[in-house]
Amino acid sequence: MATDSIPKPSGLTALANPTRFLALVKAILPYLAVITIALLAAGLWMGFSVPDDYQQGRTVRIMFVHVPSVWMAMGAYMVMVSGALGVLVWRHPLADVAARSAAPIGAAFTFLGLATGSIWGRPMWGTWWVWDARLTSFLVLLIIYLGLIALWNAVEEPAKSARMAAVVVLVGALNIPIIRFSVEWFTTLHQGPSVVRAGGPSLAPHFLYPLLVMGLAFLMLFITLHLMAMRNEILRRQIRTAQRKAARSHRGGANQEGQS
Amino acid sequence: MSALFGTKYFGFILSAYGITTAVLVVLTLWILVVHRSRLQKLAELEKAGMKRAGRSNG
Repeated sequence: MATDSIPKPSGLTALANPTRFLALVKAILPYLAVITIALLAAGLWMGFSVPDDYQQGRTVRIMFVHVPSVWMAMGAYMVMVSGALGVLVWRHPLADVAARSAAPIGAAFTFLGLATGSIWGRPMWGTWWVWDARLTSFLVLLIIYLGLIALWNAVEEPAKSARMAAVVVLVGALNIPIIRFSVEWFTTLHQGPSVVRAGGPSLAPHFLYPLLVMGLAFLMLFITLHLMAMRNEILRRQIRTAQRKAARSHRGGANQEGQS
Repeated sequence: MSALFGTKYFGFILSAYGITTAVLVVLTLWILVVHRSRLQKLAELEKAGMKRAGRSNG
């Protein structure tokens, strides 16, 4: 059969090859880093140029790091959900790599969402923490992230750990709509949605635009860090394969010596 | 600094931005350090005669 007739892999299939994926990451990372830094600089400049809010005063500026952190905490989880589906349904070789690499980054953004929310809550609500539906469900998200990281590290066999984690990720995904709609379903101290809501954003444009730019900056930062973390995970697997190969050849050599 | 953060809530705003910067910088550095150490480990293994999994054995 002529080799010309074999279709060349494209899209996600082409990226299933780790060597090809690593080459792509190496090529695009510098551009992503520059775009991220530029967007962060623009977002910070816009955020610190806004006037004080009539109710919250200057503390409204905490919104420009708090809200994007929360968006990325939930966004990273959705990346893990896609990875989990990739493991269980499509069995894509990079699906578990993508899910596993997103976990520590998602955990960091979740921690930031909780920490900056708490710092913002103290002057506005008069308390650092309250066990209401939004805050509690968001704390549950952090616990899910930490549990998944522990699970991935605890199970040695890669295919088994990938399947187990994928199931836990999908079960944990039930928490995402709870976080999103908690402020509508329950009476909470946390304010209702003000950007993604029926009838359009309720924020004034001079607060909305810096928030969207910071949101985009955090998204680019997440993509950059996620690709870097995926690259690390692929290297970890290559090291593991090489070490196993070395152990096998060592054992083989020892057996031959024993027989002679 | 007071022009950026105000005086009344200076500590809160500075803390929020400070913790965000610290966590994101530490996360980025951690990923970079891990990358460097793994490349080094792979290089050592290759030096010891092991080839990367993604490369052909022929």
